[in-house]
Amino acid sequence: MTRLLPLLLLAGALAPAAARALDAAELARVVQVLDDRQRNSGDWKALCYMEAKEKGKTDVVYELVVYRRDADDKQMFLFTKPRAEQGKGYLRIDKNLWLYDPSVGRWERRTERERIGGTDTRRGDLDDPKWVEEFDATFEADEKLGAYDVHRILMTAKPGVDVAYPKVRLWVDAKSLNVLKQQDIALSGRVSRTSYFPRWRKIYSESKKDDVWFPEEMRIFDEIEKGNSTLILIKDVDLRPLEANLFTKAWLESKSR
Amino acid sequence: MLAMDLALAARSLRQHARRNLFLALALGAVTGLLVLLGGLTAGMERAMMESANTLLTGHVNVAGFFKVTSGSAAPLVSEYPRLVRVVREKVPELDYLTVRGRGWAKAVSETASMDLVLGGVDVEHEPALPRVLRFIDGSLDALRAPGAVLLFEAQAKRLKVGVGDVLTISAPTARGVNNTADVKVAGVAKDVGLLSSFSAFIQHDTLRQLYGLSATTTGAIHVYLKDPADAAAVAARLRTAIADGGWRVMLPEAQPYWMKLMQTVPSEDWTGQKIDVTTADEEMGQFKQFILALRIVTGLLVTILMVVVVIGILNTLAIAVRERTKEIGTLRAIGMQQRKVLWLFVLETALLGALGTGAGALGAAGAALALNAAGIVLPDAVQVFLAMEQLHVVLDPRAIVVNVLALTAVTVVASILPAMRAARLRPVTAMHHIG
Repeated sequence: MTRLLPLLLLAGALAPAAARALDAAELARVVQVLDDRQRNSGDWKALCYMEAKEKGKTDVVYELVVYRRDADDKQMFLFTKPRAEQGKGYLRIDKNLWLYDPSVGRWERRTERERIGGTDTRRGDLDDPKWVEEFDATFEADEKLGAYDVHRILMTAKPGVDVAYPKVRLWVDAKSLNVLKQQDIALSGRVSRTSYFPRWRKIYSESKKDDVWFPEEMRIFDEIEKGNSTLILIKDVDLRPLEANLFTKAWLESKSR
Repeated sequence: MLAMDLALAARSLRQHARRNLFLALALGAVTGLLVLLGGLTAGMERAMMESANTLLTGHVNVAGFFKVTSGSAAPLVSEYPRLVRVVREKVPELDYLTVRGRGWAKAVSETASMDLVLGGVDVEHEPALPRVLRFIDGSLDALRAPGAVLLFEAQAKRLKVGVGDVLTISAPTARGVNNTADVKVAGVAKDVGLLSSFSAFIQHDTLRQLYGLSATTTGAIHVYLKDPADAAAVAARLRTAIADGGWRVMLPEAQPYWMKLMQTVPSEDWTGQKIDVTTADEEMGQFKQFILALRIVTGLLVTILMVVVVIGILNTLAIAVRERTKEIGTLRAIGMQQRKVLWLFVLETALLGALGTGAGALGAAGAALALNAAGIVLPDAVQVFLAMEQLHVVLDPRAIVVNVLALTAVTVVASILPAMRAARLRPVTAMHHIG
């Protein structure tokens, strides 16, 4: 034991910085970085593919255009494929999410936690995160996720804040600070969804005067209904300013005519 | 005198037995079809209302919706004991009431999943459930235990679970936070119509826990009346009383609550609590519309068939008048009045109509009884359409008598024109008639 103790101390001193527990300040900085990296002060447009696999059902692939205006917290999805969904769209204005169905020509107010297109995708998955605003972070451990050194952080919803999952566990790459894995935990404590973010990309934003990061690929696995999963691919991100009147019901309706 | 006229009419009918038999058969077939279709529609309506009153609705429901934000809605009534007091005070027609939790959740087994309309029940205060639920396995008593769920046969089959198996129930709370509960199947009951294909019962505290509800919050107060016919009047009285008590009350709308929950209520621009007082008929409004549509289709079908039969009657009587012109001439020559000739022809048709429709109704009643006795189990797709598991035709004697009288009356009316033509024949012309 007397010979083992100096060896353990030596091993601890030589361990890489990422393997050390984050103190409160470091943790706060990491969480702030997670928010800042994905936030864009201007507009956002991207082409998005969603492939939904459901047990016992045929796989469905959706193509949609995602529009965001982060300054006003506005968001809009316009489905372009498959043909049956063409023209359907979601519009978020003032924390209200509206669904437009061109087949009946009617708008319906939907819950913020709506499963987009019936898949496991939620509106928030295609928005920039608000970790600092909505959650309190707790450092859990430093560990390996495959080949990556990661910080495991538990996010707990702040009292009075409405979120889809009251707890979210994140695996953050210690080197790049990209979120690599996320577990969404239900009120009962059961893990409901596990998401993987294998590819991240950055694009320079003129309005932000900095890079904006986004996960190019998301793989969401339903942990309650095993076998159901959704693959999301984000392509052709464009940060140029969008038309001023874009985030309106009239605009979305005009696209289905 | 009438007996003599009837004997004459019967004799005339017998003389042209073949022709009259065909006409009577046609009348009988139309009547039989009307009786059977009417009985089938009544059977569907009864099966649906029975299952609705077991599963989803009382004769009157004091329920409502709570919206944390405009876009989210939950089928909740907060401070329900106060509403129970209002009901007890304002409804002297009350037989009993039950308090039911309401929810919509996804049930996931090891192999399958399905959406369920959940009713949170306190078995202690559910006097009707033991009467109407027939268990294949397990018992209602087992639903007293926390974490217990009761499924119907078709659901258990679809989820591939039996008593003792565990299901995960997943649903968002009223605030939209996702939650789950692991529940054990405490019983599997025989299906009770279409509604039992997607409605299940869960122990009330477990439902409260799943939705994060307080002890004074529930889904609905089901009010059962001594006479269900009073439902509309009681609902109207309760709406006024509840509004006077300071609650916001929704306007009556013939739609089941889960459709309001998914379509109407989230689109409305309000937050907080609103009370929705409904009758069983309103909860089953769309089904009632479907039944009405079915009755209209049946009516149209019978009308078309009756038009064919009326043409047949006109044609048959025209031939009869032509064949019996000499006979009519002789009768008129020996002093029979025009009115009497008209009466005899009409009586003859009335007798034919009464015999034909009566036989048709009796045949249909016999067929219905045989079908009911055979207990024919319908295929799944047909079950959904007919809202019943077994083919069941409800025979309403009053409706049958009305059908027989109505069709006989149509036959009599159809006979008036040819009968008048017969009565107007001049005796000399008639007696010289060759043919």
